[in-house]
Amino acid sequence: MTELRGSSGDASHHVLTRWFGTPDLHRLETYASKAGGYTALRKAMLDMAPADITNEVKTSGLRGRGGAGFATGIKWSFINRDAPGPKYVVVNADESEPGTAKDRYILENSPHMVVEGILIAAYAVGANQAWVYIRGEYDRPYQMLTEAIEEARAKGYIGPKPFGKDYPLDIRLYRGHGAYICGEETALLESLEGKRAQPRSRPPFPAVKGAWGRPTLLNNVETLATVPAILNMGGAEYAKLGTAKSPGTRLLTVSGNVRKPGVYEVELGKTFRHVIMELAGGPPEGRKVKVFWPGGSSAPVLPESMLDTTTDMEALAAARSMGGSGGVIVMDDTHCVVKAAHRLLKFYAYESCGKCTPCRVGGDWAVRTYERILAGQGSQVELDILQRVSDGLQNGRCLCGLGDSAGWVIDGTLRHFREEYEDHALRHECNVGKVAAHA
Amino acid sequence: MPAKYPQSRSAVMPALDLAQEEIGHLTPEAMTEVAHALQLDPGYVEGVATFYSLFHLEPVGKHRFYVCTNLSCMLRGANEIVDHVRQGIGVDGAGQVSSDGLFSYEEVECLGACEYAPMMRLDHEYHYDLTAAKIDSLISERRSPATKPTPRPHPPAAPATSPASGEVKPPTPRPHPPAAPATSPASGEVKLKRAPGKKRKVDD
Repeated sequence: MTELRGSSGDASHHVLTRWFGTPDLHRLETYASKAGGYTALRKAMLDMAPADITNEVKTSGLRGRGGAGFATGIKWSFINRDAPGPKYVVVNADESEPGTAKDRYILENSPHMVVEGILIAAYAVGANQAWVYIRGEYDRPYQMLTEAIEEARAKGYIGPKPFGKDYPLDIRLYRGHGAYICGEETALLESLEGKRAQPRSRPPFPAVKGAWGRPTLLNNVETLATVPAILNMGGAEYAKLGTAKSPGTRLLTVSGNVRKPGVYEVELGKTFRHVIMELAGGPPEGRKVKVFWPGGSSAPVLPESMLDTTTDMEALAAARSMGGSGGVIVMDDTHCVVKAAHRLLKFYAYESCGKCTPCRVGGDWAVRTYERILAGQGSQVELDILQRVSDGLQNGRCLCGLGDSAGWVIDGTLRHFREEYEDHALRHECNVGKVAAHA
Repeated sequence: MPAKYPQSRSAVMPALDLAQEEIGHLTPEAMTEVAHALQLDPGYVEGVATFYSLFHLEPVGKHRFYVCTNLSCMLRGANEIVDHVRQGIGVDGAGQVSSDGLFSYEEVECLGACEYAPMMRLDHEYHYDLTAAKIDSLISERRSPATKPTPRPHPPAAPATSPASGEVKPPTPRPHPPAAPATSPASGEVKLKRAPGKKRKVDD
């Protein structure tokens, strides 16, 4: 067993990770006996009307933990439960936002929590069939989820009559094969249908026309893993955690130049200073935090001076960034922002699905410009090109957010570190050494 | 397999996955066979296969290193790890197969285990907190003839139960198919060289 790095055990704010670290938590028996597992599903199916379940989730104020932060209960209510024909729940387990490992952390520690959340969601929105789209590289989470589903099937929680109720439930897994774009919900649906994963134009939204043309609820692993706790503690109680507009807790993956990288459960509204300097132990001895990505590589960077920004979505929006996937990447003063931005642009250019021109062309264009700058061949022209490409990628010019994200990397780093860009492009030098010398 | 899905087209990736597990990479013949089985156009199937980075259209080593080089790992020395892997297995670049047919490597995007950076996936297993010494021992373990290939921890295709009937069968662990032989079956010779960088590249 790999050493657990991150939150586990009892703490007043631990909703998701309270039982993490319990031996054999991935077994149904342990999940049920130690962590009260499947009591929420039992309650949902036997004591609650489907609309009441959705209302409870609405009351909790839970917002999607995949990246966009849409209100989960509202999303559930978009599905017309009484519409005839099949409906689906599709779980986005294609975690691939750089710097994000929290869904893997949940699946490896407590796969039954996810299974239970999926079954509750399916019952609430009137679906009998759920699909988990899991990234192909996640061999171990796949195995653990497969075993959890088999255990739940053996218990009858998955099957024709869960808890004796005439409401068949089933979960099946579908493995991705390496494409970041599949984290985008409509690209994921295309992939599930056996196609190249290119986003669809909306409307119609998946709630109306999703997987195989049927009404579909799409939720992230962490979002669904939170649902059993919400039913157990009550939506109103959950809403007391966090801030008024971003209630609850979420898992932040802290990585990069910190002493204790890990997946930490944090009550929304805590500061990044608390997350990075206390939970993750701050940067290595003798170094300083220079910059951090607060919500995966797609969230515009924030400099060290903004460490007191809080983790709720409103504060991050005010800081011109976003909560995204909760991947907090920390970079210290021995690293160069321009080189980091170049690496991320290579990622976005490589992962562009090629459907929309600004993203397909803009990413490569930016990479080539970065390469000229880093080769000491830059000038004001290159800086202007970067700004122009960044503008061209943003503001809804593409069907999905991948292009915007690429633009935000350029825009955010240019906004906060223009001097570093100018050192490279105009003076053909890297100032990272100088910053360290001043420190 | 197609009957598992609301539309048979969805079986294309699981079918390609199965073919790749058996052959090692996706040959044009394998893709055509998948196309015929699912009543799809061979060009369509190739279009799907080329889209996803886990499908290999060129021969790969018996053991594949997928080293994460995205930001979280890069900040903790991923580029040095890549250099070390490249030297350790004796190739010039990503995608090239070592002369004994045992190894190839790729630089990949974030693998979602950032708290253990630098990390990589070797065949079907994640390896964490990488150091040069760890890479060396992983390579030499696999060079010694006693070593078996990493077992794939799960069946790539159908679940053990029949979802339509809800009938519960005991899980049947699918024996791991032997990894592709290091030598070309036709000639018995090692002929697995290819130009590096055949996949999509940002600077094309």
